Amino acid sequence: MKKLVLLVVVGSLLLATAGCQTPKPAETATPTTAPTAAAEKFRIGVIYDFSGPFAAGGSTAAATGTEIAIEMVNEQGGILGKYPVEAIVADAQSDADVAVNEAERLLNAEKVDALVGIYSSAHAVPIAAKVDQQKAFIWLGVPSSTAVLKDKHYRYVFRCLPHSDQFGELSPQFLSEFSQEKLGIAPEDLKVAIIYEDGPYGTGVAAGNERGVEKYGLQLVLKEGYSSSAPDLSALITKLRRAQPDVILHTGYNPDITLFLRQAREQGLTFKALIGHGAGYAQPEFVEKFKSDIEYFLNVDTPAAQLFDPSVLAPGLGDLTQEYLKRYEEKTGVKDPPNQASSGFNFTWLFLTQVVPMALEKYGDWSPDSLRQAAMDLDIPDGGTISGFGVKFYPPEHEMSGQNMRAFPVLTQYRDGKAVVVYPTQISAVEPVLPLPAGHPYAAE
Amino acid sequence: MDTFLLEAMINGILLGGVFALLTIGLNLIFGVIDVVWIAYTELVMVGMYAIYCLYSGLGLPLLVACLIAVAFVTVLGALVHFLIIAPILDSPPINQLLATGGLLFFLQSFATLLFTTDFRNIGVRLPSLQLGGMFISTARLLAFIVALIAVTCLYLFLKYTYWGLAIRAIAQDRHIIGLMGIDQRWAYGITSAIGGALAGLAACLLVLQYDIQPFIGNSFGPIVWMNCVFGGLGNLVGGFLSAFIVSEIIAISGYYISTDLSYACAFAAFIVIMFFKPRGIFSK
Repeated sequence: MKKLVLLVVVGSLLLATAGCQTPKPAETATPTTAPTAAAEKFRIGVIYDFSGPFAAGGSTAAATGTEIAIEMVNEQGGILGKYPVEAIVADAQSDADVAVNEAERLLNAEKVDALVGIYSSAHAVPIAAKVDQQKAFIWLGVPSSTAVLKDKHYRYVFRCLPHSDQFGELSPQFLSEFSQEKLGIAPEDLKVAIIYEDGPYGTGVAAGNERGVEKYGLQLVLKEGYSSSAPDLSALITKLRRAQPDVILHTGYNPDITLFLRQAREQGLTFKALIGHGAGYAQPEFVEKFKSDIEYFLNVDTPAAQLFDPSVLAPGLGDLTQEYLKRYEEKTGVKDPPNQASSGFNFTWLFLTQVVPMALEKYGDWSPDSLRQAAMDLDIPDGGTISGFGVKFYPPEHEMSGQNMRAFPVLTQYRDGKAVVVYPTQISAVEPVLPLPAGHPYAAE
Repeated sequence: MDTFLLEAMINGILLGGVFALLTIGLNLIFGVIDVVWIAYTELVMVGMYAIYCLYSGLGLPLLVACLIAVAFVTVLGALVHFLIIAPILDSPPINQLLATGGLLFFLQSFATLLFTTDFRNIGVRLPSLQLGGMFISTARLLAFIVALIAVTCLYLFLKYTYWGLAIRAIAQDRHIIGLMGIDQRWAYGITSAIGGALAGLAACLLVLQYDIQPFIGNSFGPIVWMNCVFGGLGNLVGGFLSAFIVSEIIAISGYYISTDLSYACAFAAFIVIMFFKPRGIFSK
């Protein structure tokens, strides 16, 4: 009997570990000789998390986007049609120490010409400092925390993506513009509640929300955090009912968003609009689960390329998006890739088709200094990339040095279970619906 | 009186019902077998997945699915005792703690492997009651009533049956009971099965209120633990009452201060009580 028990336990453990193993990415075989400026290949170090919790949280998706961009550039014969791109891929394993070590290995042992990627802001902070100190070059992938660049005055670190402060301020800005027109309430009379999970992400966005509410003169009636693993949010909902906000600004993960919406419905909480801020509000399974309940809910996020109407983008970008989407589906079977995949593709594509060629043509080589000058020269107007925004970096003396000043998050609204861009107006093809129409489960009678 | 405050207090009491059920299950096991089951709320998670599979997967009626799930978790409770606890019953408490801790990780990982970390729910929604401006969740009210009935049944079982008497006796003196002609192994097995049944019942009540995910036990585990210690480990009545005291502290401080500080308030009250009454608030 004891043997049988042992057998069952060992067997199940083996099964469990077999299921947990994540395949490591195939690392490209690389020559050991150090390339010179006259090398035939542009060698690029790509760092993402292929294992650990970040892998499924969007890191693998971003890496796939990057891979597609490199593949497409190479199909055109490489940079300027002459220099093929060779990618050396490293797995940061969702661990900051590993990420830093891999970055050092790529720069010092592999002697890559530039680094691209990184998923987590917690990895980006130490790596950016190291890269800048070594006067190497990094083109960041998807880490969005404002703290990565703020007050650092880096010269060799660039980020195309909007940063987290912008997320929190977009929703009050949107409300100040539409409050009178859609809700018939003057912005200064609009009652807003901010609720958030009390981790760094929720707290950061909520601080941005509060600044925005103050800046646009809205009325803050409640600001409250909670733990994302709290078993009960009924006291929070009771307080919301007492405060009677017109609009709720919510930042959370799961299970808290699900619990909140469920208990809000049971306790008869009503509002005119709810604006989520990425994370839990952007997950496909969330949309699937709530369907009609979250119809007309708004969400602030970095835009995924497929959300844009090609007519609001520069000519040719619609085709580029289609090509990327087609290849992404071929590789992963996913039709509706997350925004991290768009970012991974878009920014690498920009780097390899605009920055590196400009460095070569204008400054003669692809050394870190030439790359940084080319990046500083970059001037793409709004609508000029598949993510909707343009690209122009803040100079080193600016507090956000290296940040793309034209990047912006967008506000989407769920319509028939699909997210559509409704704000900013210059790139949206659809008008927002406010307030929640009568008959909606959360609409005030 | 402020109706919103009243609503918050009623919600606190209703939440306390489910906590009471879990606290009593855990306390019973501790009082009788003297082993701390760290993985207790993971049994609830298993029960919730069982209901999900039977109801949403196989399409059985909800009541039938719930009954089967309770039976399943009852058997699971007994199995945990016979396969994991019984062999190490005489080892130092730390080993027992580690063994049930191992079970916790095993169950969470196994559920992740089988069901992934997606959130699942059975899609049953009960309407809520509206009483003069207050909203009361029917699912919670139901949970509260069923929990009270279950606790009453348990009380009657312990008070008026042979095995109930044996279990109470064993809790008083585990060594002498063998001399009275009672097989301890059976008493332990029955106690663990009852603990499992209460966890299974809690699963039925919680599945109506929460989404199912492998780590749902983490949301309840710490509170249930605190309730047990608050009322005195092994003290059934103390655990039952402290479940309501703790959930009221959470509800009222959540209403007056803030939601994220409400748990801090409950734990602060807990620490203070531990200073003055280290064996629980209802210790003599």
